Amino acid sequence: MALYNFKKIMVVPTAKEFIDITLSKTQRKTPTVVHKHYQIHRIRHFYMRKVKFTQQNYHDRLTQILTDFPKLDDIHPFYADLMNVLYDKDHYKLALGQINIAKNLIDNVAKDYVRLMKYGDSLYRCKQLKRAALGRMCTILKRQKSSLEYLEQVRQHLSRLPSIDPNTRTLLLCGYPNVGKSSFINKVTRADVDVQPYAFTTKSLFVGHMDYRYLRWQVVDTPGILDHPLEDRNTIEMQAITALAHLRAAVLYVMDLSEQCGHTLQEQLELFNNIRPLFANKPLIIVANKCDVKKISELTEENQKILADLTTEGIPVIETSTLTEEGVMQVKTEACDQLLAHRVNTKMKGKKVHDVLNRLHLAMPAKRDEKDRPPFIPDGALTRRRAMEVDAPKRKLERDLELELGDDYILDLQKYWDLMNEDEKQDRIPEVWEGHNIADYIDPDIMKKLEDLEKEEELKERAGEYDSDDESEDEDMLEIRSLAKQIREKKQLMVMESREKDVHGPRMPRTATRVERKKLEKEMSELGLDMSDKNDSHYAEQARRSRSVAKKRKRETSAPPTSKTRSQSASRPPRDQSGLRDAKMVKKAKKIMKNSQTDRNRDGRKGESDRHVYDLKPKHLLAGKRKSGKTDRR
Amino acid sequence: MPQNEHIELHRKRHGYRLDHHERKRKKESREAHERSHKAKKLIGLKAKLYHKQRHAEKIQMKKTIKMHEQRKTKQKNDDKTPEGAVPAYLLDREGQSRAKVLSNMIKQKRKEKAGKWEVPLPKVRAQGETEVLKVIKTGKRQKKAWKRMVTKVCFVGDGFTRKPPKYERFIRPMGLRFKKAHVTHPELKATFCLPILGVKKNPSSPLYTSLGVITKGTVIEVNVSELGLVTQGGKVIWGKYAQVTNNPENDGCINAVLLV
Repeated sequence: MALYNFKKIMVVPTAKEFIDITLSKTQRKTPTVVHKHYQIHRIRHFYMRKVKFTQQNYHDRLTQILTDFPKLDDIHPFYADLMNVLYDKDHYKLALGQINIAKNLIDNVAKDYVRLMKYGDSLYRCKQLKRAALGRMCTILKRQKSSLEYLEQVRQHLSRLPSIDPNTRTLLLCGYPNVGKSSFINKVTRADVDVQPYAFTTKSLFVGHMDYRYLRWQVVDTPGILDHPLEDRNTIEMQAITALAHLRAAVLYVMDLSEQCGHTLQEQLELFNNIRPLFANKPLIIVANKCDVKKISELTEENQKILADLTTEGIPVIETSTLTEEGVMQVKTEACDQLLAHRVNTKMKGKKVHDVLNRLHLAMPAKRDEKDRPPFIPDGALTRRRAMEVDAPKRKLERDLELELGDDYILDLQKYWDLMNEDEKQDRIPEVWEGHNIADYIDPDIMKKLEDLEKEEELKERAGEYDSDDESEDEDMLEIRSLAKQIREKKQLMVMESREKDVHGPRMPRTATRVERKKLEKEMSELGLDMSDKNDSHYAEQARRSRSVAKKRKRETSAPPTSKTRSQSASRPPRDQSGLRDAKMVKKAKKIMKNSQTDRNRDGRKGESDRHVYDLKPKHLLAGKRKSGKTDRR
Repeated sequence: MPQNEHIELHRKRHGYRLDHHERKRKKESREAHERSHKAKKLIGLKAKLYHKQRHAEKIQMKKTIKMHEQRKTKQKNDDKTPEGAVPAYLLDREGQSRAKVLSNMIKQKRKEKAGKWEVPLPKVRAQGETEVLKVIKTGKRQKKAWKRMVTKVCFVGDGFTRKPPKYERFIRPMGLRFKKAHVTHPELKATFCLPILGVKKNPSSPLYTSLGVITKGTVIEVNVSELGLVTQGGKVIWGKYAQVTNNPENDGCINAVLLV
């Protein structure tokens, strides 16, 4: 049995749309280019492909429609009957049959034309054959226009049917129109069914869900039934009859004692007797509704007797009023209990239960001694249960207070506070006091915490954690510290002096200007360095060396060198002047050097060792066709 | 209202948005602009389809407008004169019709003897042999070329058996053999799918007639017992001539017009 999901049926397109979609799909998804000079088998294949593609698409879509729509024999008889009532079984089957025929016809057409195309010897002939084939298939579909429209409407309605599970616990409400079935379901479940004073407000089945004893129950509301024979019933009433006939549910026959629905009690009892055969094998309860207007005790003697008879037969008659809600819960519990018992009985009589029963074993613990150990129920639970049974009101809720006061109601949570002084409850709490945030101090243990903290601090101080470690430093450190202090002072003085200089324009870095020897020696001696006898020092030598090379120094007059390498580098002339006698030769040497460099410079090489190869014609810029843009440049 | 109709239920309980009706009105009035924008901007195949559809719509609109206009004006009703009404000076004449019928029958019989018919398609293009018959090469070295295959649609009778394949000169492939034709009655304007009884004459060549090749203009004989025609004498007519009006090899079906 295929699993049907009424809400997942694919949309049935109209005939025109269907044709448009399929033809445009063929045009997009098959190759489009063919020429006269191609080989004939290629031309044939091209057109055959189109014919087959179109046929395939039609076939697939039609098959999907045929499988999506439920077969009336495969679904639960409740739904089969409901669909028959709503959509007419014959029309439905005919429409689907037509679609099936169309599908077969389309297949045959495609087969024939593909066979004919094998004898096509020119492009024109194959093209005409393909045109004829597609045209024929589309004509077949155009004829199905009405079937497709009907199926689309069925699909839309089917997807909106209420999802009633035929196998679960259900309560079914039935009776004359306007007796209060919809009000009952509104009270018991969260279904929001329209309740109006005119008859036949409810025109289809409605379902609501409720909980009882930790189980989910369905409550099904039906349109009212009038008292006439089955053949005269219209579609709306037939839905109610279908539900009654096929759902295994507890039936609540709702009666209107006050006769406000427009039908006398006798008529209602008549109807009850007429549809009694439908209640066979179902737990039945008679709900005497609208008892706030008229109670059973206010009825006439004979009517009361009839109702009493029914009660003795085993059908409980319960007074209810959906307006004041009396008796509604009673009906609910009674109906649910009866249905549960009925279902359990049926299951016990069935075959499947033995599998389960064989595996169940109730173990009773053996008594250890004679001590009596009854179950313990706390007092609170007992009182609450008693209160529930009595239906006494619990403590007054805020909601009740709100309803009472209406517009004057203000939510006052401060009255629930637990303070030492009761009349302080309504006092306003300031936020700031004497410059402190009160919120910072709101801590019940704050005094205690403060004391603890102070104690800790005292201990720490005594232990000496906060003493400075001046004594641990030795003399060197002290000296260094004093020197550092001096240096800092001097630095600050120098900074202030230079700021006062008021130099306009860019400042030259210190290294660019020459520092004279005298100044250097003076500054260093101020700082405390011994600057006497510094003729051999490095800076003095450098100053002397900056003179011209031609003047040769006498080796004897110079002081003996401190190290060998130093003397060599000091005495060696620079490379571009070594081995050259005079300035003229220096100039010539330079010229020769420049000449040798010209070739390298022309190549753009940095030096002798530069062998880098440049990529003057990169492939990514020059390869490929000139696709767009002008062609006079790349 | 069924339980699942949330939109309608909400509308019933809370009504519409405050600007709902205005928005709806404006959207509808914008439709004309959107349609014209679409008509201007579409290109390619979609444009062709759209313009074709729109053209058909416009024709219908023009027709309805014209119809409405006609209703307002008054026109002379030409149907008022009943059938068979004769002006006063012709009242004496009668008995014409019957004579005409008799003479028609005689005329038809004469025409049949002469072999000339009045056909809907008097002139058709002659099909050359290279067009109708394709050369099939046979033999070990594929050199012999005396076999021919018919490339057009043909009709072979019920009791047709091929000659032994070695000796048959004209091959009529099974894929191209048709038994039924779609015959239109010119006066009734109704089309029926009738079985073919035989090929009477192919205008291109008597060879084709003997082979049973059906091309455009061929006169075929069809089984009209379906139509239930009866002669004056009370005999049931079950065979009539029809002329083929399309190229069957291009369309895959034979369309013919009944020769009344």
